[in-house]
Amino acid sequence: MTDGDTASSVATADAILEFRGVTKSFGGRAPAVRHFTLSVPRGQLVVLIGPSGCGKTTTLRMVNRLIEPTAGSIWLEGRDYKSYNPVDLRRRLGYVIQRIGLLPHLTIGDNIAFVLRLLGQPPQARRARASELLELVGLDPAEYLDRYPTELSGGQQQRIGVLRALAHDPDIILMDEPFGALDPLMREQLQEEFKRLLRTVSKTIVFVTHDMDEALSMADVIVLMKDGAIVQVAPPEEMLRHPADEFVASFMGRHRVLRQASEVLVADIMIASPVMTTTASGLARSLELMRRRRVNSLLVHDPAGHYVGVVRQSELQDHIEAGDQSPVGSLVDQTVETLAPSDSGLTAMHQLLSHEHVDSVPVLDADDRIVGLVTRGTLVGLLGDALRVAAGVQDIQLPEADSAPVGEVAR
Amino acid sequence: MTLFLHTYQFFTQHPGTIWRHTLQQLYLVAIPLAAAILVAVPLTMLATRVRQLYGPVMGFANAMQTIPSLALLALMIAIGLGIGVLPAVLALFLYALMPIVRNTYVGIMGVDPGVKDAARGMGVTSWQLLWMVELPLALHVIIAGIRSALVATIGFATLASLIGAGGLGSLIMEGMGLASNSIVLAGTIPAIVLAFLAEGLMGRVERVLTPRGLRA
Repeated sequence: MTDGDTASSVATADAILEFRGVTKSFGGRAPAVRHFTLSVPRGQLVVLIGPSGCGKTTTLRMVNRLIEPTAGSIWLEGRDYKSYNPVDLRRRLGYVIQRIGLLPHLTIGDNIAFVLRLLGQPPQARRARASELLELVGLDPAEYLDRYPTELSGGQQQRIGVLRALAHDPDIILMDEPFGALDPLMREQLQEEFKRLLRTVSKTIVFVTHDMDEALSMADVIVLMKDGAIVQVAPPEEMLRHPADEFVASFMGRHRVLRQASEVLVADIMIASPVMTTTASGLARSLELMRRRRVNSLLVHDPAGHYVGVVRQSELQDHIEAGDQSPVGSLVDQTVETLAPSDSGLTAMHQLLSHEHVDSVPVLDADDRIVGLVTRGTLVGLLGDALRVAAGVQDIQLPEADSAPVGEVAR
Repeated sequence: MTLFLHTYQFFTQHPGTIWRHTLQQLYLVAIPLAAAILVAVPLTMLATRVRQLYGPVMGFANAMQTIPSLALLALMIAIGLGIGVLPAVLALFLYALMPIVRNTYVGIMGVDPGVKDAARGMGVTSWQLLWMVELPLALHVIIAGIRSALVATIGFATLASLIGAGGLGSLIMEGMGLASNSIVLAGTIPAIVLAFLAEGLMGRVERVLTPRGLRA
């Protein structure tokens, strides 16, 4: 693990990759990357993260000279990047991108071994290497070598994209949101698989993402960027515990250390986009909405957007079976307690736990408009974060109930 | 009924004439088309690298195809090329450029930017990008352009007889001059057959050259 002050450190002996005051400006605009100085030790996985437009991808693309720095220099394995021919340099590095970019006219085998072909290796050797790599991730070479990318699912395609970056055994691999286009389940699966893969092959990795979950799960060191500059460099644990400033703290969001439950506001923990409907909506339509979003109650607002109450699945079902044609507005339970975003988390907890039949509480603003929902799941998530931090390891895989977009998800 | 009979008789009595005109027609199509491919494809490939080139190249090709074909032929005489095969070939060549230029450009520019980025990031040279990535992926689109150029050229080539280039058009003209429908058909039928054959053949070529991974 590197220290928090890596950003300011000078050449370290074991640094395989070093950025020295790298700046990139495009035309007359503000620089996309400003005085970026970072030293990446051999074998580490460094995650560049930040809001979009923070310069993380530009930084990555300067390493393999797809973008040339305006000022400063990048040192790879003790040599100035300019001393490498760009094409040779790229063949020494691995490169994985979000858009995957497999060559659709080549077989999986040829795709995996593409760099080997550029390097002039004979076909048999290329095929053997491709087989070997497929086996490494548990894909049967006999089945996959001669298939084409379009015959594979997105997740499988990106597996091939990762293998392709490993084929020529590069020391450094650049990954630009490699799992960003995959659905959450597949993303997690590939992250795990990739971590497992990294245990068998020791690589230095520069990994760009905008997903803090991913950063926390993958990184040895997180580099948080904003407006082209580094805000903080720290291992995940340290960044969680000691965010350098308000920006880092807010970017870590719900992951950050919660010092006292009373400090937490409803606004911090609520689900910001609960499933809603209007009073005029039909019963069957509302039921269908619940089924689709997998919730068992809906927040109901009037046509002007003001909160009216809650309607529950069981009631809807009864009335539909009885042939009731009235709109949802007639079934609304208006007795449910509500919260304001500025209420403390403790108030929310009290409301949820003191009434047995209440499993969610709507959050309303001063105008009675629905701004969120706090559920029991939210509280469990909160507790989970606190435990995770308390345990001091971010690897505990706790169910993150509050990451679901809606309350009361049937799991 | 008599028309069919007469036409049939003409075919059986003058197979040499028809064959000669058909061959001429083939030359009139093949030479300009081959020249158009050899000029348009590399030039357009260059234009995908040097973007400023695309405007003039496409503009010129477009203008050539916009000129009515008859006017284009007449223009060849007007600019002093006279009559015969050469001006006809030149006119047909100019006429065939546009679909090839358009499809080559669209085909190459249409290659998924993600694929190109990945290839560049893996260290292809700009030649390799063209040969190993862009051309294979654009080939079926380019072929489709050649296909429409070919069909248009076959149609246009029958007009070439107007400036004395021969071909099946001259049979048709002759038939019209003699008010003999059977001679007109003797020129028309092989022209139609040629067009369909070419279309069918190119369709096959297009399919074969579509990379397996891109086929639906």
